[in-house]
Amino acid sequence: MLKIDTVTVIGATGTMGANVAGIFASFGNARVYCIGRDLEKVKKTLPRTVRSVRADSIAKNLVAADFSSLEECVADSDLVFESLAEDIDIKTETAKRVGGALRTGAVSCTGTSGLSITRLAECYPEGKRDRFFGVHMFNPPYNLSLCELTPTAYSDRNVLSELREYLERTLLRTVVEVRDSPAFLGNRIGFQFINEALQYAEKYRDNGGIDYIDAILGPFTGRAMAPLETSDFVGLDVHKAIVDNVYKNTDDFSRETFVFPEFARRLVNEKKLGRKTGGGLYQLVRYDNGLKRKTVLDINTGMYRDVIPYVFPFAEKMKKYIAEGDYSMAFERLVNNRSQEAEIALYFLLKYIVYSLYAAGEVGYSTESADDVMATGFNWCPPLAMARALSTVSDIGSLVHERLPEVCEAVDVDSLLLKIKPSRYDYRLYFKSGN
Amino acid sequence: MSKVYILGGAQTDFVRNWRKEGKGMVALLKEAVADGLENAGLSYDDVRDLNRDNRVSCYVGNFIAEMYTEQGHLGAFLTEVDPAFYGVPSARYEAACASGSVALDAAQTKIRVGDYDVAIVIGWELMKTVDSKTGGDFLGRAAFYEKEGKGIDLPFPKLFGKLADETIKKYGVDEKRYMDALAAISAINYSNAKRNPMAQTRKWFMSFEQANMRGTETNPLVGGRLAVSDCSQVTDGAAVVVLASEAFVRERGLKCRPVIKGYGHRVAPMRFDKKIYENASSEYILPWTRQTVLDAYKRSGLSVGDIDVFETHDCFTSSEYAAISAFGLTEPGREYEAVEEGLIAFDGKRPINPSGGLIGCGHPVGASGVRMFLDLYKQVTGTAGGYQVHGAHNGMMLNIGGSATTNYVFVVGEE
Repeated sequence: MLKIDTVTVIGATGTMGANVAGIFASFGNARVYCIGRDLEKVKKTLPRTVRSVRADSIAKNLVAADFSSLEECVADSDLVFESLAEDIDIKTETAKRVGGALRTGAVSCTGTSGLSITRLAECYPEGKRDRFFGVHMFNPPYNLSLCELTPTAYSDRNVLSELREYLERTLLRTVVEVRDSPAFLGNRIGFQFINEALQYAEKYRDNGGIDYIDAILGPFTGRAMAPLETSDFVGLDVHKAIVDNVYKNTDDFSRETFVFPEFARRLVNEKKLGRKTGGGLYQLVRYDNGLKRKTVLDINTGMYRDVIPYVFPFAEKMKKYIAEGDYSMAFERLVNNRSQEAEIALYFLLKYIVYSLYAAGEVGYSTESADDVMATGFNWCPPLAMARALSTVSDIGSLVHERLPEVCEAVDVDSLLLKIKPSRYDYRLYFKSGN
Repeated sequence: MSKVYILGGAQTDFVRNWRKEGKGMVALLKEAVADGLENAGLSYDDVRDLNRDNRVSCYVGNFIAEMYTEQGHLGAFLTEVDPAFYGVPSARYEAACASGSVALDAAQTKIRVGDYDVAIVIGWELMKTVDSKTGGDFLGRAAFYEKEGKGIDLPFPKLFGKLADETIKKYGVDEKRYMDALAAISAINYSNAKRNPMAQTRKWFMSFEQANMRGTETNPLVGGRLAVSDCSQVTDGAAVVVLASEAFVRERGLKCRPVIKGYGHRVAPMRFDKKIYENASSEYILPWTRQTVLDAYKRSGLSVGDIDVFETHDCFTSSEYAAISAFGLTEPGREYEAVEEGLIAFDGKRPINPSGGLIGCGHPVGASGVRMFLDLYKQVTGTAGGYQVHGAHNGMMLNIGGSATTNYVFVVGEE
């Protein structure tokens, strides 16, 4: 296994960089150079890194540094992790600097969530490209263990397997090897779902739009947080960057579901990005007396209004059954209720299974990889477990043919469904009652 | 007298917060019982068939659902889990954190005397229904509440902090050496939990150094010299095991089922200060705990050298420390040797808590005794997966209630 005693994290004041530094310093017990543009800001970020893994004992492992000592830190490191903004120019420039200083035998990684790993590898001198990889973690990494590992054509397979072992055994990551493909696997599957939900919010704007769709695809459908609330949490700018990247650089049967809706584009232009800017799809209004009111964008008017407490009979039944542990009765309601809302919910869950199977083949190396990314990167009921859950009440193949006729025309669904295997995840954990 | 066989069982994933999932005890019990029966090779139809001839009974271990979930009459509550339990004799057993063991004891006794052929034992507790301060106050009822619990913030950490003080005092052990040993016990339990896919802390970070940084923001003191890293967890969960008679095992043609080889059950003075007053005449800090272990060795005809794996009640690191000599792994007062020399580590000669224990795996109080028993079953049948102790033939567990007041020991092994 790799011996990693010293690590450099470049971009350690960013959310991801600060948290990743915590992972290396704690589980890895490595000395970590935390590099940012402003040394004072780096120093102020270190306590956040310590808190991110709830361990004062790692403080002594963290060393604040700025870009002026980048070469020095890199030359002293066994592993370098770049976690800068998702800007190809910034990343290529930094990769060149790292490549020049990286010592023989050291490993270099980028935490990019979507840029080409191959293109970044090519910024390194020829003799060092073989030790460069994409290592994409999810935020916050202390809670979400997913780590998408991407080698390139230049990669040394032995180093890759050693790095994989280090990430798995020492850093306790759930490592999924993925191809150098836009957005990799987790975000490809997750944002297919989320973006189509956003498109549906626009399509059903007269029914309520955003909160209407979230009420249909809430925690009772196998996730901790409804999809559009997730987008608001992640940030619409990040959401847009992911789907634009996939739309531009891939061409699959579901490509049109990656088109970012116009109303959301306007929000991004107005810097209404979500929770981090105080409002986006949703807006939390705080009053002086401490009371809070959750409002949502009305797509028709462009104004924020109170969230509507929708009551859909199928959803109420499902929540009641889930609360008592009667899962198959909940799924029976989902499948046999023919209201518009139940049909939308089932459409999304079936499409999720099919698209995951497709993407796993396209971007991953095994069907199980789709399960790992969705369970440990999104905390959603993973697709194979979802298939198992629905199969307790109905045949998945027949359901898909009945409910997804357009998808069945566009792609060989039957071959995809043949790839379904038992999941190593327990679907019961993911289906929640309540809102 | 029949031998008592173990058919199997299951535990829920101790990571789960059932309140956050919007689920209560009905869902918890439905899942745990279904998984436990399946693992034991039984169906609800089997339960119905056995019950027709009055051959099956149920034993529910739970400490204090009246407070956490406002529900009593927990034996009868199984009828809400499945109609197969209509008519099945069932009752709830309580002995604070040893509730699971007292349920197991009732079950094994009924099998041994031949009243029933199958006994389903279910231990459970839902603790995340309230905040930690309120929960800590509920748990104070495992001590003499009026004198030791009422109005005191987190009474149990304080009682086991006193156990730490008394241990140092009784044996004159070097304070740093003792606290280092406690930190190592914490680190071992957290580290073991990483191999257990059902452990609550399997993704958490802990190290010897962090465990030893007591009094910091991330490891605040909670009971005298004990810090958060010295404590077991607040956990939601259930564990189920199924016991059976010789007749049933023969009838089903079951092979290689492990048996209960022995047990011990002793009750020490309720109040902690009386325990300490009484132990002056003993070499042991917890003499009744030691006696419980001796009883179990005697009943099983085994000695400490025959036990390949231990599961103990590390509600606090100071209680696991005391258990080391109680098991007979060291002389009393020299427990630190077993820690320092790696004897109790996962790859040591006498591993304690390969599951992660109450600190690493979690501590849903009414479930813990059953969970330990289930883990011994897994170890001696070679089905513990990533946390399997190589060559485990016999295992011993110690489950305590209150401040080591109710003491229970079981020995499980190959027939």
